[in-house]
Amino acid sequence: MNLTTFYLAVAGLILAPLLGGLVAGVDRVVTARLQSRMGPPLMQPFYDVGKLWSKVIPPASNWQGLFVRWALVASLASDVLLAAGADVLMCFFVQAASASFVALGAFCGSSPYSKLGAQRELFQLLAYEPVFLVAILCMAKVSGAFDAYSFMNASAQPLLFKMPLIVPGLLFVVLVKLRKSPFDISASHHMHQEVVRGVYTDYAGRDFALLEIAHWADVVVVLWICSFLWATSVVSMVATAAVFLFAALVIDNVSARLTWRHMLKVVAPISLVLATANLLWLYME
Amino acid sequence: MSFLKTSQIKSPWLMHFDCGSCNGCDIETLACLTPVYDVERFGIINVGNPRHADVLVVTGTVNPRNAQILKNIYSQMPDPKLVIAVGACGCSGGVFRDAPNVLGGVDKVIPVDVYVPGCPAKPEAIMDAVVTGLGKLKGILEAS
Ligand code: SF4
Repeated sequence: MNLTTFYLAVAGLILAPLLGGLVAGVDRVVTARLQSRMGPPLMQPFYDVGKLWSKVIPPASNWQGLFVRWALVASLASDVLLAAGADVLMCFFVQAASASFVALGAFCGSSPYSKLGAQRELFQLLAYEPVFLVAILCMAKVSGAFDAYSFMNASAQPLLFKMPLIVPGLLFVVLVKLRKSPFDISASHHMHQEVVRGVYTDYAGRDFALLEIAHWADVVVVLWICSFLWATSVVSMVATAAVFLFAALVIDNVSARLTWRHMLKVVAPISLVLATANLLWLYME
Repeated sequence: MSFLKTSQIKSPWLMHFDCGSCNGCDIETLACLTPVYDVERFGIINVGNPRHADVLVVTGTVNPRNAQILKNIYSQMPDPKLVIAVGACGCSGGVFRDAPNVLGGVDKVIPVDVYVPGCPAKPEAIMDAVVTGLGKLKGILEAS
């Protein structure tokens, strides 16, 4: 590992959560505007995390603190891996491990809502991980390697033209990872849902603040991987990520009553079939 | 003030408990979330979990059955916390204060920081109560 890679990794470690917080702020402002409200200030997610950090409350289970910290480490590690140009598949698996730690912590809690949320988190993993994996395989097939830097300068032509069919799948991943849609997902971003706060129900105070930071890091990883679709320059990558984010916000606002069963039975199979068709097409070319 | 203290004032998450309200005050409380009043511009979010809440908004009268639940919810909230009693019922028992099953207002069971009069209380008055409560919290934080 040379020194530049090291600096990039450190930059990823520090900037990714900050960017994630900013994305959360943009999300809340844009959502409010779509609903003809004014919405909170852009920095609101940072205030929320600061507030949670200053609240001291005993954990629902002694194991939770440990799982939260592991989830945070895994989420930040996936950002660092991408920034350092490591294997994108590795980053994908580390990111999935983070989600599993959150679910394990929730299973330790005493609230039935927390356990129900943890089960849904596992269903969710089952639904989007295969799609995400196939999308990454498509990108690797075209760029000829699995490391992030190859994805970013694969060719003069954006990867999107070779893999239009993975776009619905990636959009689905962004929606789920933003905890946006379906509304009864494991821990909906919308505070009032049928399982209170799902996996997050039993986490409170500092643990919850750390989980929120882990969530920001996750969102950055997913948007970053989406931005590989048009990685001709930094500006085009940011623009691609912004398009995915905005599309997810619009879908969330126009489909307020999608349920997780619909996600598992309809959205996941269709997007997986489309993405797999794209992969086969790339192999047959 | 430090960032952590400022953020406590800028991010009040609110939990609404219907003690024994006729639903008049509940509708007015939920109206605060609509685009007309939009409390989210103050960073306020309506949460369903006392462990995440900073402000407890109670509507309606207290009776022997729900007094225990009210105490329970209050004790699950992390410190520092605010309690707002909404409506004539929440403040004093209102028109129901002489009923045999009514203990009275919310302050018979848990300490109340801000009282919102009205039957039902107006959304503007409820929002004003939250802002007043935050002013009180700011004083406490600055002194600490
Ligand atoms: S104050 Fe009036 S509107 Fe509010 S709960 Fe009591 S009776 Fe109903």
